[in-house]
Parts: sequence; C-alpha cells; structure tokens
Amino acid sequence: MDIKETTLEESFGELEKILSELDRENVTLEESFDLYTKGMELVKLCNSKIETVEKKLRIIGEEKAE
Amino acid sequence: MASVYTVGQVNSYIKNMFNEDFALNNIGIKGEVSNCKYHSSGHIYFSLKDSSGVIACVMFAGNRRGLKFQMQEGQKVVVFGQVTVYERDGKYQMYAKDITLDGEGDLYRKYEELKRQLEEMGMFDREYKREIPKFAMKVGIVTASTGAAIQDIINISKRRNPYVELILYPAIVQGEEAAPSIVNGIRYLDNEGVDVIIVGRGGGSIEDLWAFNEEIVARAIFDCNTPIISAVGHETDTTIADYVADLRAPTPSAAAELAVFEYSAFLNDINMYRYELLRRLNYKLESNKNKIKNYELRLKNLSPQNILMQKMQYVADIELKLDNKINNILISNKHRLAILSEKLNGLSPLNKLSNGYAYIDDKDKNAIKTVDNINKNDEINIHLIDGVIKTVVTDIERLEA
Repeated sequence: MDIKETTLEESFGELEKILSELDRENVTLEESFDLYTKGMELVKLCNSKIETVEKKLRIIGEEKAE
Repeated sequence: MASVYTVGQVNSYIKNMFNEDFALNNIGIKGEVSNCKYHSSGHIYFSLKDSSGVIACVMFAGNRRGLKFQMQEGQKVVVFGQVTVYERDGKYQMYAKDITLDGEGDLYRKYEELKRQLEEMGMFDREYKREIPKFAMKVGIVTASTGAAIQDIINISKRRNPYVELILYPAIVQGEEAAPSIVNGIRYLDNEGVDVIIVGRGGGSIEDLWAFNEEIVARAIFDCNTPIISAVGHETDTTIADYVADLRAPTPSAAAELAVFEYSAFLNDINMYRYELLRRLNYKLESNKNKIKNYELRLKNLSPQNILMQKMQYVADIELKLDNKINNILISNKHRLAILSEKLNGLSPLNKLSNGYAYIDDKDKNAIKTVDNINKNDEINIHLIDGVIKTVVTDIERLEA
C-alpha cells in the first residue's frame, strides 16, 4: 500500500494496526524497528495532511453558479 | 312488537357501529373553529362548523403534540382523528389527534404523499447512505448568505478547526425560486470536489421550510456523490430533505459539529500515536536488554573460573567441617577428664588428715609407715591438713609384738 495515497482515516487505522503488531509477544526486535519507523512516518504524514493555514469562507459567485 | 333494550345497550351498539366504520376511524374534517375552550386539565373542547352544520370535537391533553398553534374562534382548520360515540351523553364527536390550519393541510398532505412515494422507491434506505468523512478538509454549504444558519456554521467551524475550508453556495432558501437554487447549489458543490456538503437553513414556518420538501431537492440530494448533511430549521422540524440526506443534523450548528473535525482532538490523537509507538519500542528494547542480561548471567555461571571457585569453596567447606568435628571430639574428652579428675580428688588421702591424723615423710619425701625405716636424729615432716611441721626424731620406741 502506498501510504502517500491514504486518507487520514486509513492512516489512523494503519497506526492502530501497527500498535497492536508491536504489542505481539513474538514480534522480533528488527520487525519492531520497522514497525516503529513506519508508524512515525504515518504520524508525520497525518500531521502534514492537515494544512495549518487559516481558511477564509469562500463564496461561490452567482455568475459562476449558473 | 319490537324488542326492548336499555339505553346503555343501544349506545354501546351504536358506538360499536362507529368503531367498525373504516372511514370514521381515520378521518380529516375541515371547518371553522367555534366554542373553543382550553380546559385546565389540558384537554381542548371545540366545535367545527360550516354553512351546513356543526360537529363537536375534543383534543385530549395526551394528543396536544398534534397542535402547533393557538386555536382561535373562526379559524379555518383541518382536524384529523376519529369520530366515535360518547356513550354517557349519547353524542357522537370528533376525537382530534392532529390539527392544522386549512391550506397548511394541503401542504401536509403533499408532504405525506411525497414522503410515502420516495420511501417506497427506497430513497430513504440505509444502504444508500454515504458515510460522512471524519476528516473533511473542504466543507461545502448550501444556504442563504445572510441569516443565522451560515453565521452559526462559520462560528462553530472556526472554533473547532480554522484550517478547514468552507465553501458557501449562496442559495435562495425560501419562496418559489428556492428549490431550483438549492438543487443548483448541491450540483455545483458536488462537482467542486468538496468532502461533505451541508444543506439547510434556520427555523421558520412550514411554508418557509417548504423548499426542503420538494421532490427536485430530494432527488438532487439522493443523486449527489458527495455525502450530505441536512440541517433544516429546528430539531422538531423534519423535512423530506432530512430523510434523503446521508445524515440529519437537528440544526445548522449541529451540522457544523458533525462536518468539521476538532483540530485539538486530532492533535491529541497524533500525539497519542507518537507516544504509544515510542513506548512500545522502548518496551521491546528493554525486554531484549533483559534477555541479554539473563544470558550473560547464565554464561558467567558456566565459566571455568566460576567452576573453579565453586570447587575451592567446596574444599573450604569440607575443611571447616573437619575442624569442627575434631574440636568437638577434643571438647568432649576434656569434659570427661574433668569429671574423672573430680572423682579422683574425692578419693585423695589428704582428706583423711582433717580429723587430726597426720602423714609423715622424710626429707626425701618417702612415706614413713614403720619405725624400722627411721633413725634417731632423722629430720621428718609431719603433714597436717593446714600445714607441715618440720622436726627431728629424738627417740624411738618399738612396740613389743
């Protein structure tokens, strides 16, 4: 799955999955490093998806609406 | 002769006839209100009249939700309910469940009719409902550019998440042009590629809200590919648009709450994930470190040096045990010796001296037991219990045998 194309909901779902993977008893240290790196990447991606620029109300012009 | 019955039997028979009549059980009657009395019990007594006659009506307190205005003398109304008999007075009357102003009654019927039609077509079915996205970044709004609805939506959105883009299609929401204007708005925003659309307006009378009961609006909502939240009037107003929409919000403010996700909650979630990821990784690291420590300890226990140490310890232990054993034997022998020496002491001849008897020896410490061993002028020692007398023999007398 290409994580750049996922929605925020999907990313959150993926994060939940990674957390429960990390909780597994038999996960190896190497795997857990991979999972952690992937998780942090997702966290960064989620953050960057929210463009923190205040948006003004945009009003559709009547002439365009017709 | 005809049969004779009691009054009660006849009234009860008539009541039964009324109750079995299909038409009378669910009927609408239009007329003019007269003799209207709001009783303190909550019941309303009134009559409906027209040029041809009068019918008595009552609305019980329990049905008062079916009346949304103050009834007044002379008003033209439509009353829905059941006509049946009040046995005690031998009178038939209308038991009202819903009362609408005449004219409104037409709208109400149109509303009911359209609602039934669309419902039968499946347009309200759950399976067609689109899910409202949890993290909409672009929210389209179809409502009047002036008015409380858009202000409420802007305020709530700014408070929850100022980074979400609001796009308003200024629609006419009242009057004859309203329905086509709302339809255009929905289509425009659907093409604009917003994540969710709010369609609605503030509160008003049934006529004011009517555009949201029009079939073209219902169809536009149904055909729209973008999820739609309806927000028409107050909580108590339910329009056809509300039934067709993917989600019904009771008010425009509530619609904004549903459409715009809270930025602070989002930040909390993100931080929670960051923290949880780190916590789990640290836990993994710690538990692996512990495992290594454990192996190290076990290895050290098995090293030759450690085995040698253990053997040396074993030898030292044995040595200590041997020492202890020999000490014990020595002590018990000393003890035995002490007891024996005590016993021996009890048998010492010196004890006999206590009664004035004495023990005599010569200067070479040879005991003198008979006069044959002694000569005149020999030095002898007389041992008493508390000392020794040194003396010289002056004479010897032998006892005759």
